[in-house]
Amino acid sequence: MGIKTIVEDNIDILVVGAGLGGTGAAYEARYWGRNKKIIIAEKANINRSGAVAQGLYAINCYMGTRFGENNPEDHVRYARMDLMGLVREDLLFDMARHVDSAVHKFEEWGLPLMKDPKREAIGAYMREGRWQIMIHGESYKPIVAEAATKQADKVYNRIMVTHLLMDDKKKNRVAGAVGFNVRTGNYHVFKSKTTIVGAGGASNIFKPRSVGEGMGRVWYAPWSSGSAYGLLIEAGAKMTQMENRIVLARFKDGYGPVGAYFLHLKTYTQNGYGNEYESKWFPALSKMVGKEYLDTEGQHLSHKPIPTCLRNHAFISEVNAGRGPIHMVTMEAFKDPHLEEVGWENFLGMTVGQAVLWAATDVDPKYENPELTTSEPYVMGSHATGCGAWCSGPEDISPDEYFWGYNRMTTVDGLFGAGDTVGGTPHAFSSGSFTEGRLAAKAACKYIDDGKAEGIVVSNKQIAERKEQIYKPLENYTIGRNEITAGTVSPSYILPMSGLQRLQKIMDEYCGGVTVSYVTNDKLLNIGLKKLSILEEDLEHIGAEDLHQLMRGWELRHRHRTSECVTQHTLFRKETRWPGYYYRGDAMKLDDKNWHVLTVSHRNRITGKYTLEKAPCYHLVGEEDEK
Amino acid sequence: MPTFVYMTRCDGCGHCVDICPSDIMHIDDKYRRAYNIEPSMCWECYSCVKACPHQAIDVRGYADFAPLGHSVRVIRDEEKGTIAWRVKFRDGRVKNFLSPITTQPWGTKIPDLRNEPEPSDDMRNSQLLAFEPKYIRMDDGDIHTLESNGLKFKEGVYY
Amino acid sequence: MIDINSTPIASLLAEGISYANMQMYVVIMIALVVIMTVLDLLHKKSSIYFFNATAKSEKDLAAGNAPCSLGKEEDRLKILSVGDKVNILASTVVVDISTAGEFSNGLRRLVHILTMWGFIFFNVATIIIIFGAQETQILAQVWNIGAIMLFFGTFWYWFGFKVDSQAEGYSWTRVVIRRDMFSLSLMATSVSVLGWNIYDGGTGVWFILVLLSTTSLFGGVYWSKFSHMFFKPIAAYNKRIIKANGTNENLPHETRNDVWQQNRHSMKLLKDAPMDMGLGIKREAPKHY
Ligand SMILES: Cc1cc2nc3c(=O)[nH]c(=O)nc-3n(C[C@H](O)[C@H](O)[C@H](O)COP(=O)(O)OP(=O)(O)OC[C@H]3O[C@@H](n4cnc5c(N)ncnc54)[C@H](O)[C@@H]3O)c2cc1C
Ligand code: SF4
Ligand code: SF4
Repeated sequence: MGIKTIVEDNIDILVVGAGLGGTGAAYEARYWGRNKKIIIAEKANINRSGAVAQGLYAINCYMGTRFGENNPEDHVRYARMDLMGLVREDLLFDMARHVDSAVHKFEEWGLPLMKDPKREAIGAYMREGRWQIMIHGESYKPIVAEAATKQADKVYNRIMVTHLLMDDKKKNRVAGAVGFNVRTGNYHVFKSKTTIVGAGGASNIFKPRSVGEGMGRVWYAPWSSGSAYGLLIEAGAKMTQMENRIVLARFKDGYGPVGAYFLHLKTYTQNGYGNEYESKWFPALSKMVGKEYLDTEGQHLSHKPIPTCLRNHAFISEVNAGRGPIHMVTMEAFKDPHLEEVGWENFLGMTVGQAVLWAATDVDPKYENPELTTSEPYVMGSHATGCGAWCSGPEDISPDEYFWGYNRMTTVDGLFGAGDTVGGTPHAFSSGSFTEGRLAAKAACKYIDDGKAEGIVVSNKQIAERKEQIYKPLENYTIGRNEITAGTVSPSYILPMSGLQRLQKIMDEYCGGVTVSYVTNDKLLNIGLKKLSILEEDLEHIGAEDLHQLMRGWELRHRHRTSECVTQHTLFRKETRWPGYYYRGDAMKLDDKNWHVLTVSHRNRITGKYTLEKAPCYHLVGEEDEK
Repeated sequence: MPTFVYMTRCDGCGHCVDICPSDIMHIDDKYRRAYNIEPSMCWECYSCVKACPHQAIDVRGYADFAPLGHSVRVIRDEEKGTIAWRVKFRDGRVKNFLSPITTQPWGTKIPDLRNEPEPSDDMRNSQLLAFEPKYIRMDDGDIHTLESNGLKFKEGVYY
Repeated sequence: MIDINSTPIASLLAEGISYANMQMYVVIMIALVVIMTVLDLLHKKSSIYFFNATAKSEKDLAAGNAPCSLGKEEDRLKILSVGDKVNILASTVVVDISTAGEFSNGLRRLVHILTMWGFIFFNVATIIIIFGAQETQILAQVWNIGAIMLFFGTFWYWFGFKVDSQAEGYSWTRVVIRRDMFSLSLMATSVSVLGWNIYDGGTGVWFILVLLSTTSLFGGVYWSKFSHMFFKPIAAYNKRIIKANGTNENLPHETRNDVWQQNRHSMKLLKDAPMDMGLGIKREAPKHY
């Protein structure tokens, strides 16, 4: 294969990964940087890439201040409550005060937002819940993709970005990125003043419940390879809250979403014997996490939503007590043909696989209550968890510990994040991720205009070394293949899929996956770290038969780096902060005295050693809280 | 295999290869027709199914848990701005759906921001994003700040 | 330059190759194609598949409307009359078979038409000349024009529309024998017969190239997807039938044209939208890499 090197030079703003965060970044960058060179490097095809490939049936983050519905601080308090107190409230407030302006633009561009017939006069949107509005979002991604494509100087599709480039002159400053084209095999070098990473969260790092064809039916997309974290950790950026993985209660096997069912269709759950089970587990759980987080007596009075992880805890406990399966009671709601239609369109609009499964198994929720399950854990930062990079907040809000000059900039100069990339900002979802991209882009323009990106040097040595590294798996395969007659078993290389399955087994068994009922402890985590470091040695011997496998090989490296960071964080936080997401068997209580803090990790780029520290957790306090 | 391709319908046009977010639709070496090279990395996202001009791609649910005999098919009609689904159960029952996918002719309402008036220095130094504050509330209201909402940040444990 | 009013076939007579010899060669080639196609069909049992597919559509039609709880089923199915079927057969012949209606890309379709008709013109003219043991000017023109069409069709295909080069980004130099043998043999055939004519026939190098390329073309049928060609018409006819009778392999049939749909609650958002929204993703060629 003749590998050409293609250099794109003098870029001002490089967007790595054009999902919801990346498209928001490219769009906004043009507004503030009229003459700036804006380039997008995307692993797949921008029109359908990322978590929103299938479309969405709801925008889960919309304040509705326009209709007097919520203020930003209301959302901050909700997210704080749901995450057991630990979020970056400056980033959340900032996202929430801007998010509506993105949604109003989406509507203008043609995204079909449903209207509330009861509030037709003011044109209010159809609410699914307090924060969610309902949409016909099959073409959500093509619409935001066009908004980004129109502004960018060039969109490079099918570029698997493998590494960020670093300034060889000034320490800790980013200089662009490198990767390869999955079709042509060419080596692409992007030299840029600033880089905004929107490469998305991680699925498939814990062993999934389905292991054959069905391993593709993960909740988060199989192509969410944790590249946002893999790229950033390798570049030496600090990460936060990486222990805060998410487990989802979803329809069994197809992982169809439950939001619209609970909120709009008013369905509820019961155990295999037709009984309500949640309240039974709450008194003991309340002792475990403290009255502040779960007030069994006061809960229904305060109308506070019960945190997602605690509802999971009741689910898992009930199943382990032998009273499964948990059912979603749909038969009542589905009597109404309109609601039945909403229930189905909800799947067809964002998880078609669930509709396929129900059709295959003759499950019609009108006549039968479908089973639910709890998924394997996922690592991402825009749903009900806040894994990701430790980023600066906005100037007018953030306390000193949270501010170093530019909004959404990581601890590496010139390196920004959006969406899943940014840590401590759960409940951003699609609209919030897009908004974070916009915030990062405006800040990146300012960073350049302030003269912070002058004199970046990228040596040819760095570029040549990366090139050698990137294509090594092809070389491993070609040479090693001579040793054996045929087949997939070789003593000198392993295929990406085999490596992935080893990673999943380690994470599952040692870091609190589904086969161990989400429980781990310090002993298990230390063994896990050791096995991960041996796996890293073997990853030098990945064998890739073709460019597709080469991409899978690099996705695996990003997943591995993410997993290592998750395990380090899980070991550091010696408490069980989110029962229902995972349990530290050696510290089964929530411990506010020692751990009401955010965890921050740093991996040394040279030695690979991790340093973990506690960062203060600031809360938004209003007048009523003061009293 | 989650997606598969009907031999008699595929003309090898490459739309599915071009769109698949997982990079798993590829052209077969012998027949020059598309097929799914890695079913265990297929999300059943239907991006390829919707993109195929010949309805050559269909889905057979994951063998791990989906019995044979079902059919969930789709026609995404860009000109009409709609998506139509037909769900057929194993036992022969069907459900039909039709929903909008865009309310505006494609791309016509998305501006090229190079043609917008330049933002002032005041705006650059403010917390406003493009088209704000108007688009936040669609009225003359301003952006929310800590002061405007009577808030401050405090370290420690608050609920 | 090439003289399209004559072919080099007669020049073989002077070299001691009689029409009878040539007829023998043509018969062998035809036999090769027939035997290999039949072997391929038997081996794959594809005829059984097509028979089953037709039967399935008939069965679905006979079963009538499926039990349907959301959306509408009435007006979906239609029992086709003999007249309907004749019309469908006619459009299959005109659109699908003779003008390669299977291709959605107009230029690709044109390339296919050039190749197919060039191939047919060239071969039919050859057979008539050899078995009629004489050449007329018309036949010679058909022979030459066929070869020229074949030349443009195959080369344009290879450099402009070769599926894997276009979709997969492979260089045109990347050849997989099993896959490309048929295309390369066609290209070689068109070049060698034209060269043979330009350099005045005879049994020299060009004639040897003609023999090699045609033998490789017809002898490689078993390993190519040539037998697939025989199914295309059946498949095209079948596709039209199921569309007309409404079973349509379970594809959705509801559209915005239906007034009932326009007034359904979830379609209200499109009440005032134009009926033609233009193209979105499909505006651009599928080459995003
Ligand atoms: C099943 C499901 C249902 C959901 N439901 C809702 C909902 O109802 N409402 C809602 O608001 N949100 C919902 N979400 C959440 C929402 O989709 C995400 O929060 C959002 O897409 C995250 O944006 P992102 O930009 O961080 O990541 P993504 O949108 O996933 O984008 C990541 C991008 O990076 C690219 N990329 C990855 N690696 C690389 C690399 N190495 N090099 C180059 N490019 C790379 C990817 O191809 C992709 O384009 C749902 C998500 C899922 C999976
Ligand atoms: S889009 Fe359809 S016709 Fe085109 S290559 Fe793919 S399966 Fe074949
Ligand atoms: S359904 Fe989605 S993931 Fe599967 S092959 Fe098609 S485009 Fe790719």
